[in-house]
Amino acid sequence: MAYTETRRHELRKSRMLMIDGHLAVNSRTAESGISARVYRDGYWGFASAPGDAGLPAVTDRALRNARAMTRFGERQALALPAEVHRGAHEFRGRPPLSEAECMERLAELHAWCARRYPELESTRFMLSDEDHAKHVGTDAGADAANRIQRAQCYITFSAVGDDGAPVELTESLSAKGSLGDLTLGVEALAPLLDKLHEHVQAKRHAVAARGGLHTVVLAPELAGMLAHEAMGHPCEADLVLGGSVTAGLVGQRIASELVTMIDAAHHFAGEETMIPVYADDEGTPARDAVLIERGILKEFMTSRETAARLGIPATGSARAYTPHDEPLVRMRNTVIVPGTAKLADMIAGVDDGVLVLKTGNGQADSTTEFMFSVTLAYEIHNGRLGRALRDTTISGSAIKVLSSVDAVSDDLYWSCSGYCGKKQPMVVSMGGPALRARAHVGGQ
Amino acid sequence: MNDTSESIIGRAAASALAQMRRQGFEHAQAAASVLVLTELNVAHNDPSLLRSTEQRKLSLLGIVDGRKASTELTEFHDDAVRERIESLHAQTLCAPRDDANAVSSGQQARIVQGPQAPDEAVLAGKVQELLDFRARETPKMLVDEAFVAHTRVESRLLTSGGSDLACRLGWYGMNVFGTAREGNRSSSFAYTGGSSDDLSSAHACAHFGIEEMLRDTERQIDTQPVPARFVGDVVLSPGAVADLVEWLQGQVGDMQLIAGTSLLRQRVGEQVASPLLTLKSRFDAPGVAAVSADGFATPAVHLLKAGRLVTLLPSLYGSRKTGLPHVPVAAAGWEIEAGDTPRAQVVGGVARGALVGRLSMGMPAANGDFSGVIKNSFLVENGQVGPALSEVMIAGNIARMLNDVVSVSRERIDTGDLHLPWIRIAGLHFS
Repeated sequence: MAYTETRRHELRKSRMLMIDGHLAVNSRTAESGISARVYRDGYWGFASAPGDAGLPAVTDRALRNARAMTRFGERQALALPAEVHRGAHEFRGRPPLSEAECMERLAELHAWCARRYPELESTRFMLSDEDHAKHVGTDAGADAANRIQRAQCYITFSAVGDDGAPVELTESLSAKGSLGDLTLGVEALAPLLDKLHEHVQAKRHAVAARGGLHTVVLAPELAGMLAHEAMGHPCEADLVLGGSVTAGLVGQRIASELVTMIDAAHHFAGEETMIPVYADDEGTPARDAVLIERGILKEFMTSRETAARLGIPATGSARAYTPHDEPLVRMRNTVIVPGTAKLADMIAGVDDGVLVLKTGNGQADSTTEFMFSVTLAYEIHNGRLGRALRDTTISGSAIKVLSSVDAVSDDLYWSCSGYCGKKQPMVVSMGGPALRARAHVGGQ
Repeated sequence: MNDTSESIIGRAAASALAQMRRQGFEHAQAAASVLVLTELNVAHNDPSLLRSTEQRKLSLLGIVDGRKASTELTEFHDDAVRERIESLHAQTLCAPRDDANAVSSGQQARIVQGPQAPDEAVLAGKVQELLDFRARETPKMLVDEAFVAHTRVESRLLTSGGSDLACRLGWYGMNVFGTAREGNRSSSFAYTGGSSDDLSSAHACAHFGIEEMLRDTERQIDTQPVPARFVGDVVLSPGAVADLVEWLQGQVGDMQLIAGTSLLRQRVGEQVASPLLTLKSRFDAPGVAAVSADGFATPAVHLLKAGRLVTLLPSLYGSRKTGLPHVPVAAAGWEIEAGDTPRAQVVGGVARGALVGRLSMGMPAANGDFSGVIKNSFLVENGQVGPALSEVMIAGNIARMLNDVVSVSRERIDTGDLHLPWIRIAGLHFS
C-alpha cells in the first residue's frame, strides 16, 4: 500500500491589541508553503518548503524520508481508506474591514468604555482573524480546496477588588469569516459591555469557592468546552490508540440518556457550522462523527491511518495547522445537542450549587478526567443566585460528570474563539446548551 | 547553516530595510530567518515518520510619525516584499500615533551556538534507545508520541538605527508523551522533553527526566482521590515549577505593566518571594539566542535574588510607555538556582500533601488566585510517597506560594529553556 498527499497551504492572520487606548500590537502575517507526505512500506515521510519551492522536489524528499525509515526494520503497510473528495468550498461573508476601519472600531470601543465605566482600572481590546486556504491532492484522486476563516474579539475589563488586588474578566466574540463578519459597533455591543461591567463589579466582591463536589449549572457558553475537553479529545482515534480509556467503551453507556454529542463536519441542524470542513487535509470526504448518542458511546474521529488501525471508517478529521505540519486527528465543530429544559428552571431547581458562566482554557486526559478554568461563577442557594465566586476550576471524570447530567436546556450557543492545542494549535468550534451536572469545584 | 543561506537572509533583511526607508518609514526593523528542521517521530511505540521542513520568514516593523505596524511574510523575492512594504506603510498610517514606538539603535551581536548540522544516526539512535528502554523497563507505557529532532535557525535583524544582530543556532530536541495502560485501566498522560546541544553523551532516557517520567507513569495506572479536604504541602516537580515562573514573568512584562495590573510593579528591591528562590537568565541555553525580539542584545539578568525582586522586564515599547527602565530579555532561558536540600529530604519533610508532576489549570487570576487539578501526582504522608492520585484539586495564590516556599532541591532538571529544581510549598488547600 502506497499513498502520497500534497498540500498547498496559505495562512494569513491579523492581530491588533489596544491597551487603555494604546495600540500595543498591530500585525498582519502571511505564511505560505507546500508539503508532501508519503506512506511507503508502513512508514511515513514528510517534507515542506516555502511556497515558491517546487512540488516535485518536496514530494521526492518526502519519499526519500519514508524510505529512510526502513532502517527501523520491515513493517506491514496498512490498507488506508480510499475515499476521496473533489471540490472547492469557501465561505463568502461580508467584506473584510480595512486597517482604518479596525482602528476606528478599537478607538470607539475604548473611548466609549472610558466614558461609561470611569472606575475601571484598565480596558483591553484584541481583534484578530485568520484565514486558512488549503489545496490538497492525493495520488488516489482527491482534489480538495478548503478555506477556513474565523474572526475574534476579546474584551477585557480590569478593576480593583475589595482586597486591593486586580480583578479581570474577558468577553470573547467570534464569527465565521473575517473581522467584517463580527459585530463590533458600540451601539450593538453596549448591552454586552454593560453586562460584562456588571459582572466585573460583582467579581470585585467575590468570595472563594468551596472546594468539593457540587451541583453545577453550566451556561450554554461552557457546554461546548465540556464537550470538547471531557469527551471530545478522548474520542480522537490517535488518543484511543494511545491508551485512552474510551478504547473499550464503544456501545456502552458513558453519559446520561439526555446527552447526545456530535463532532459535526460542516453542517448542524441545517446550518453551515463555524469551521466547515468538507474534506480534511488528507482529501477524505468529511462526515459527522456521532460520539455519544443518548448516553451511549458510538464512534471515534479518525484519520486515514487511525481508521485503518482501528478497522473503522474514516471521518475526515485529519487537519494540519501550518504549511509545515502533518495532518492530525482534530475536532471540527463539537456540539452537545440541545434538550428541552429552560435555563431559569435549571437554576431554580438547585438548593446549593454553582452557576458557571465563563471559562478560560481547559484540558483533557486519557482517563477522561478533564478540567476547565472558570472566570465567572455565582453561588446558587435555594434556587437563587448569590455572590460571585473568585476564579476557580471545574474538574471531574467526564464519564461521571456526563452520567450525572439531569437537565439539558433548549438553548444552543456556538463559539470558534481560541485554539485547541495538541502538538499543533487548531481552529475549532464548540457548541451546546446549558447543562446541570455534578462536578468537582476547586477551592478552599 | 551554510554561507549560502547566510548570504540569502542577510541580503533579504538588508534589501527589505532599504526598501522600507525608500517607502518613507522613519524607523524600521527587518529580520529574516531560515529554520531547517529534521525530526524523527514515534507513534504508538513505533518509529513512524521522518520530517524535513524548511521555513523562511521575513518580519518587518515600520514607524511613521509615531505610528507603528508590523508584518511577516515567507517569500523573499523583491516583488512580494515590495508589495508587502507598500501595504505595511498604508497599515502604519492608519494606526494611532504613539511616541513610545521606537526601534533599537546601535546593537551588535554575532552568535554561533550549538551543532550546526543534524547527525541522522544520532536521531535514529536516540529513538531506538527510547523504544528499547520502554520495552525492557516500562512495558506498560505506551509512547503515544515522541520525537527526536535537530533544528537549525539562522537569523539576521537590522534596524534603521544601525542595529545588526546575526545568529546561527543549532540544537537537538527530544519530547516524549504517553500513557501507561494495563487492561482497561489508563494513567493520566504524561510528557517531558527539552533541548540540548549534545544528545549523544548520555542515554536517551537520561535527558530531561524521561526515565523518571516513564517509570512514574507506570505507577499512576491505579489512583485514588484524597478522602477529605485538608491543608497541606506540595512538592512541585520542575515541570510544575515552570508554571510559577511563567506567572512571575507575566507580572513583570509589558501587558501587566502597561495596564497597571501588575502586583509587582511597585515592589522592585523588595522581598516578594522566599529567600530560597533565586531566578536568573540563561540566555545562552541550547536553542536560545541572547537577543530580544525588539532588536537588543540581552545581557544576563537576575529577576529574583534570594527572593528580592531585582527588576521588571519591560520591552523597549513597555519601557517608553511606562517610564520604567528597559530590560531586554531573550525569548527563553531561565533557571532557578539549586537549593542545598537533597530532593529526598524535600519530599521527606512533608507531613501531609502531594508530590506534583503537573498542574492542569487555567491562567491564574489577576490577583494570583488559582486552582487546578494535580496530575501525575502522588500522595505524601509522613514523608513517604504513597499512591498515585486522581480527581484531586489544589487551590491557593501564586504570589503567596512564592513566599511559602519551604525548601528547594539540590537536584534540577535541565530542559534547555528552563533549569529548575523541585520546590516544596506549604499551605495549599486540597479537595
